[in-house]
Amino acid sequence: MVAGAWTCLLAPLAGALAITLCGQRISRRLAGWISTLTTFVAFGGAVVALFALWGRDPGNREQLSTAYTWLGAGDFEVGFQIFVDPLATVMMLVVSGVGGLIVWYSMGYMAGDDEERRFFAYMSLFVFSMLLLVQAGNFLLLLVGWGLVGLASYLLIGFWHHRPEAVAAAKKAFVMNAIGDATFALALVLLIWETGTLEYTGVFEQVDGVSSTMVNLIALGLLGGAVAKSAQVPLQTWLPDAMEGPTPVSALIHAATMVTAGVYLLVRAHPIFEAAPDIQSLAAILGAVTLLVAGLIALVQWDIKRVIAYSTMSQIGYMFLAAGIGAYGYAIFHLMTHAFFKALLFMSAGVVIHHLADEQDIRRMGGLKDELPRTHIAFLVGTLALVGIPPFAGFWSKDGILASALADDSALGWTLLACGLAGVLLTGAYAFRLYFAVFRGPRAEAHAEAAHGHGEAPRSMMLPVGVLTVLSTIGGLLVIPGVWHPLTDWLAESAEPLVEPTTGEEYLISAISVSIGLVGFALAWRAYRGHRQLVTRPDAWRVLEHKFYFDELYDGLFYRPAVAISNGLRRNVEEPVIERSLDEIGSGTIQASGGIARVQSGLLRSYALAVAVAVLVLIVVFVSVR
Amino acid sequence: MMGPDVGWYLIVSAMLFGIGALGVMLRRSPLIVLLSLEIMLNAANLTLIAFARQQGSLDGQIFALAVMAVAASEVAIGLGLIVAMARRGLALDVDAARALRG
Repeated sequence: MVAGAWTCLLAPLAGALAITLCGQRISRRLAGWISTLTTFVAFGGAVVALFALWGRDPGNREQLSTAYTWLGAGDFEVGFQIFVDPLATVMMLVVSGVGGLIVWYSMGYMAGDDEERRFFAYMSLFVFSMLLLVQAGNFLLLLVGWGLVGLASYLLIGFWHHRPEAVAAAKKAFVMNAIGDATFALALVLLIWETGTLEYTGVFEQVDGVSSTMVNLIALGLLGGAVAKSAQVPLQTWLPDAMEGPTPVSALIHAATMVTAGVYLLVRAHPIFEAAPDIQSLAAILGAVTLLVAGLIALVQWDIKRVIAYSTMSQIGYMFLAAGIGAYGYAIFHLMTHAFFKALLFMSAGVVIHHLADEQDIRRMGGLKDELPRTHIAFLVGTLALVGIPPFAGFWSKDGILASALADDSALGWTLLACGLAGVLLTGAYAFRLYFAVFRGPRAEAHAEAAHGHGEAPRSMMLPVGVLTVLSTIGGLLVIPGVWHPLTDWLAESAEPLVEPTTGEEYLISAISVSIGLVGFALAWRAYRGHRQLVTRPDAWRVLEHKFYFDELYDGLFYRPAVAISNGLRRNVEEPVIERSLDEIGSGTIQASGGIARVQSGLLRSYALAVAVAVLVLIVVFVSVR
Repeated sequence: MMGPDVGWYLIVSAMLFGIGALGVMLRRSPLIVLLSLEIMLNAANLTLIAFARQQGSLDGQIFALAVMAVAASEVAIGLGLIVAMARRGLALDVDAARALRG
């Protein structure tokens, strides 16, 4: 079992190293295959680990494997170790499985790009980083994976480095993530201070003994990291800009790696959050706010990838909501189904973009149903799964989250439930708006002449899309309320849920949310039939188009003051004080040394006289002092 | 204990040292400066040996041998410099060689 887990972790790293070291000696195609196959080897390792863990007795399904002591300072030791438990195996399967499909798909998508080898090396590095994140046996190694994920996303978002927007987006993603990394690291320092260890089991055993202020601070720091990585309000602004990267990268960031890391952290560190219930509720509230904000913004976006990006933010909001009220199993379940249908949506969008020669504006799409029949079906399945129409995957997981909010049965729970249901309405509206705009209606004039009819994508792209279509259709059947729920039972061994909805509640919520989703569909349909937009009030439209002015707010709140302060400091401190004083020191030294230099006459005899006089003086001094 | 008192030796040594020092400070020919330096070193040697004799130990004598070795090497370098100066047609005058003034 441990061997399987280590294989899972190290195979993508080996792939990345192999591609990097071989450089130009291997063909671009071979680099793609190395990356794809090593990721699937990782998936195989994860499957082996899963079954080995399955074979064990319940209650004995945790395994810590230490390769060596990585850091040691006195009693404090951090090992290079992996921790395999039910939660980790599920994450490993999702990351390596969906990641492998995406890498496979990108072989077709990236064919003909100039720097495919670099691309695949980064992709492998990305998968490795995420696997390190989910398999890490202690918080420090988790932070290492956390940082590597940020690095890999930076490299991939800015992959097309000749485009200034891509470079700016990469930088933005990195900076926003660095804020989260910093709070995360501070939380770890407090953890070492309070518990003296960073190993999961050690920390979780001692967390009850930590004072409530401290545990609140620690939980807040971890939440800050999770919020930044998962693009939740208020650190969400990097995610839509990250669409500047190639489409498979977007799929990887949104489905398999990166943004799900925050949810994983909330679930992995659940004993800490349970010891700080206020912070845990804050996570749920942030999730609820994010799912509404992102859903509203998605209503008005024109870029096909940005709509999907906002839907990711919204869905991650659901996961935060679930983790915040203690429905850990459903949070991870939704993470999994979301990985399926979001990867599917991005890949289908990639086929569309490919077909239309890099056109991303949905105003110039439309009527693609007949040109891309298979992609149309895949996209429709993804949309249905996203909206939560049974029996597609998103239905089962999202309704589990909403039912948990109902079962929470507190003022907070009811509020969250209301937000969640409003989010379902928004999801239905924006998802079907996108679907109608892209696949239905007449062909837009602009592309009718521009498109040279790439047609459906090559097989290497359509096969992963097909696999994900199947997964998005049946992937939710792992948990059917009242019938069976192996996945949530499996996850409960890692994180016992705090709320457990009854079967009746589940079906009640399902009925309500499906009808609300259909109302959203109806809104989108009406707007589409009437050739109108979903948001008709121009002022509301403007607010949404500016994404609630978050970018402008941060610009005014941080960037401009920082620039103003720096300029002021330069004018008032740097130039008059520091530069002038340096000049003074320089010229003063020159003057002084000019005077002293005159003593050095070059006359040998005067030196000898000076030595003799000095010796005489010294003799006199020493003799008289004694 | 044979010979005169150690004080006499010191007086001779001091006189030699003074002559040498004056020669270094007053004369301008590098050759003479070098000779005067040798006189100063030998004055020091004389002191060392006189005290060694008075103390009845060999330390001073060994030290004097070391000083001679140093003096010999110093002369080798100094004469080399003087020869080099002469070959380049420079004036053999320590006051003229002031290229290192500040």
